[in-house]
Amino acid sequence: MDITEYIKLVFTDYTLRTITLGTAILGAVTGMLGSFAVLRKQSLLGDAISHAALPGIAIAFLITGAKDGNILLLGALVSGLIGTFWIRGIISKTHLKSDTALGLILSLFFGFGMLLITFIQKQPNANQAGLDKYLFGQAATLVERDVWMMALVTGICLFVLLLFWKEFKILLFDADYTKTLGFNTKFIDILITTFIVLAIVLGLQTVGVVLMSAMLLAPAAAARQWTNSLSVMVFLAAIFGAFSGVVGTAISASENNLSTGPVIVLVAGVFVIFSFIFSPSRGLLFKQIRFIRNRRDLQLQKTLSFMFHIAETHENIGHPHAIKILNNFQGFTKGSLQKLVQKNYVKIHGAMWSLTEEGFKTAANLYNQQTQKNE
Amino acid sequence: MSDKIAVKVDDLTVAYNYKPVLWDIDLEIPEGVLMAIVGPNGAGKSTLIKSILGILKPIAGSVEIFGKPYAKQRQIVAYVPQKGSVDWDFPTTALDVVIMGTYGSLGWIKRPRQKEKKAALEALEKVGMLPFKNRQISQLSGGQQQRIFLARALVQNASIYFMDEPFQGVDATTEIAIINILKELRKAGKTVIVVHHDLQTVPEYFDWVTFLNVKKIATGPVKDIFNDDNLTKTYGINYKVSIQE
Amino acid sequence: MSSAQIEIQLIASLVAIACAIPGTFLVLRKMAMISDAISHSILPGIVIGFFITQDLNSPLLIFLAALTGIITVVLVEYIQKTGLVKEDTAIGLVFPILFSIGVIMIAKNANDVHLDVDAVLLGELAFAPFDRMLVYGVDVGPKSLWIIGTILLITVALLIAFFKELKVSTFDAGLAASLGFSPAIIHYGLMAVSSVTTVGAFDAVGAILVVALMISPAATAYLLTNNLKRMLVYAVCFGVISAISGYWLAHFLDASIAGSITTMLGVFFLGVYLFAPNKGIIAVMYREKQQRIEVSLLTFLLHLKNHKEKSERHVNHLNEHINWQKVRSKTVLDLALKNNMIYIDKHIVSLTEKGEGFTSKAITYIITNKDAQIEDMKDDFFLFRG
Repeated sequence: MDITEYIKLVFTDYTLRTITLGTAILGAVTGMLGSFAVLRKQSLLGDAISHAALPGIAIAFLITGAKDGNILLLGALVSGLIGTFWIRGIISKTHLKSDTALGLILSLFFGFGMLLITFIQKQPNANQAGLDKYLFGQAATLVERDVWMMALVTGICLFVLLLFWKEFKILLFDADYTKTLGFNTKFIDILITTFIVLAIVLGLQTVGVVLMSAMLLAPAAAARQWTNSLSVMVFLAAIFGAFSGVVGTAISASENNLSTGPVIVLVAGVFVIFSFIFSPSRGLLFKQIRFIRNRRDLQLQKTLSFMFHIAETHENIGHPHAIKILNNFQGFTKGSLQKLVQKNYVKIHGAMWSLTEEGFKTAANLYNQQTQKNE
Repeated sequence: MSDKIAVKVDDLTVAYNYKPVLWDIDLEIPEGVLMAIVGPNGAGKSTLIKSILGILKPIAGSVEIFGKPYAKQRQIVAYVPQKGSVDWDFPTTALDVVIMGTYGSLGWIKRPRQKEKKAALEALEKVGMLPFKNRQISQLSGGQQQRIFLARALVQNASIYFMDEPFQGVDATTEIAIINILKELRKAGKTVIVVHHDLQTVPEYFDWVTFLNVKKIATGPVKDIFNDDNLTKTYGINYKVSIQE
Repeated sequence: MSSAQIEIQLIASLVAIACAIPGTFLVLRKMAMISDAISHSILPGIVIGFFITQDLNSPLLIFLAALTGIITVVLVEYIQKTGLVKEDTAIGLVFPILFSIGVIMIAKNANDVHLDVDAVLLGELAFAPFDRMLVYGVDVGPKSLWIIGTILLITVALLIAFFKELKVSTFDAGLAASLGFSPAIIHYGLMAVSSVTTVGAFDAVGAILVVALMISPAATAYLLTNNLKRMLVYAVCFGVISAISGYWLAHFLDASIAGSITTMLGVFFLGVYLFAPNKGIIAVMYREKQQRIEVSLLTFLLHLKNHKEKSERHVNHLNEHINWQKVRSKTVLDLALKNNMIYIDKHIVSLTEKGEGFTSKAITYIITNKDAQIEDMKDDFFLFRG
């Protein structure tokens, strides 16, 4: 299927349109809230919550016997929240560290969920099919109602985010200080956590328990590299998330045998890798370039100041000296001399060099700066 | 300095998990002093100001700010936490951090506007950081970060300032800049309470001092009580070592 | 019990032991989530290994998958070093991406690869006895038993050989380096063992249960002891007991064995979490309450010692001045009276001689933080046992 055909299908085909819309909204809301998780250093909490949601789904099914998505989601929400607060309890009340608490809750809840699901599957109640879609997610099972639900939650989330923006921001940056200003930090904290859990639960049906954490982290981690403003970061993360959703859905729809979840995660992963390397201010590529350039500049400066010290001993700063004497200096190369000539700091006459007026001034400045720094 | 008591601490006892950190502290800080809290590591200096500010819950005792509980006096108290207590890689600018100082008076939901921004810019000017207002905070030096924190407290326009180790890890220029601002604050009749490490600078910087080591050892004017006797009581046999640090 | 049942329990127990040993060190080194990352990210290694060998149990596949585990660790550490994202974000990014690559590789080659992602994640212990190991045509037992047995043997051998190094580098990396053990070698050695164990165990019990078997027994044991050797023994015991009881739970409920074993691990953890003698929640809460009373008592005594003026020592002062909401002042007063620390004369409270001595001692302890002086006080007071 080529791209134009696909775009046409998105607008005409009901299923494809629903899925595309669903993954786009999901990507946006997880990206948005993921920014908060990343900045609170709770990146792995998402992974733990998504696993912890599983028994909730199973229990909700056992109780109601219904396959109604929203009731199952409610179960997931409750169990995700229990997991989250239990993790906190373990960290604050025992000497187990946060990584152990996360790993514990993640694996124990998940295992218990599996026990319940396999138990349900053996029951005569034939209604149970579809529970295991929460494991890896099946975007194909999204229906319009699910998308409406996602849109509703995203809308509420956006509203709350805008309403309490200032409070969220200051809590993320400096919780103790926030407390002294008189804000109820517990309330803000619970609000953020609840929305993160909600976003995760929403995504379970589409990308599944296992890959959910990437949906939360990848767009945020990518967005962080492009900006130094929280609002821009949250906005970019939402865009990256939505884009990953749409592109991932498109790729998986145009190929056989590709489930949507992993493809979306890979697309988001590409965003991350691209951002890590090519971000102008933080990216590895430009960092490396800056590093090399700095080193080269430093070498030039060293050579120049070495020359300055020689020239200083003469009354006439333009007095020529043999190039040979520079050979004693470590940082000196033919290339660096050439560069200095290009910058019009130095003149060369045969085997002799002399500082120009400009070169002398620059070198004197460098020297002053250095002595100032040492003081 | 007036005769009014700015901060009154009564029988304050604080314990972290199993370890008692502060014991039965009685402390009266007069209005208008520039006070250092000194004591060895683990003496509970930070704990003391955190408990006064309600960040930590004491086991016993009470705190009054100008005769009323802290919760009612938030508006006139400002706090400068330890520089290391936050993540400086947070995506925000110097100006943004300083504006956070206005959040308390804004209260819930209300956004900072021109007025708040103007106050923040003035505070930045005061600490000499105006040219850096749009810098990402991770691109500031340690001293500059400390000045940003100070500016954030200045914006609160408080009567009492609590500062946790504002001189830690700052360059000499910043140290002078900060102490000048603190002295200005005192001149304006404000009360400034500083957790301080460097004993040698105490007589030069401060006019009031509290010696703390789990218990309160002594409190009063620097010229009266900053002596070897109290230092030895506070630092024990390690006193000389601490001075060298 | 049929022989298949015994074999399943045997395999599960061996997996539990093989997981508990590296798990203990992962928990102590605050690296528990690395095991979660490894358990997912080995998938592409398994798939590539399967393309080459067409055999889930081949040593080459185990090697390739373990290599992917090491690559995961290296990649995570590299990303952390760049400082572009915070510590754990790196873990959270790397493993889902590698896992996704694995899932897509399986999906694209569904016709050639008879690998089921569900099975990789959840395992199917019930089928393990059907895959027999044949030596010259003689049936010597299930293949998984041999694989996990071999891995366990290697793990135990390494544990015994390098116990000292592991111990020192876990508790004091700086000391280890100064003694000449390279922390890096120990670190990557541990990662390698964890990866191999994960791979060896996954087709029996699945990736997630491997994580549970690594972390839970160690965490449960850690709530009971601080002694490394004891912690290892307890962890192994918890693992084995959960494995066997989990098997029977699955048997009765007719549900997934992996899920049931994890559930049993959870039950044991919950039990210890609640009831552990020193570090369990109930003990901690009780101690916190006791401590509050005792700290209040000491504060009260200290207050009496500090203030000679009568107004500060009036009975009513307790209520209005010291401001105790959490502990009723009456409790404190009664406690002090019962211990003969104070006497009350016309509503004025004073310290008895015993009270004076006790308070002085307590102050010395608090200020010097030395335990020697208060040996005899420890029995009376929870506070000093912490």
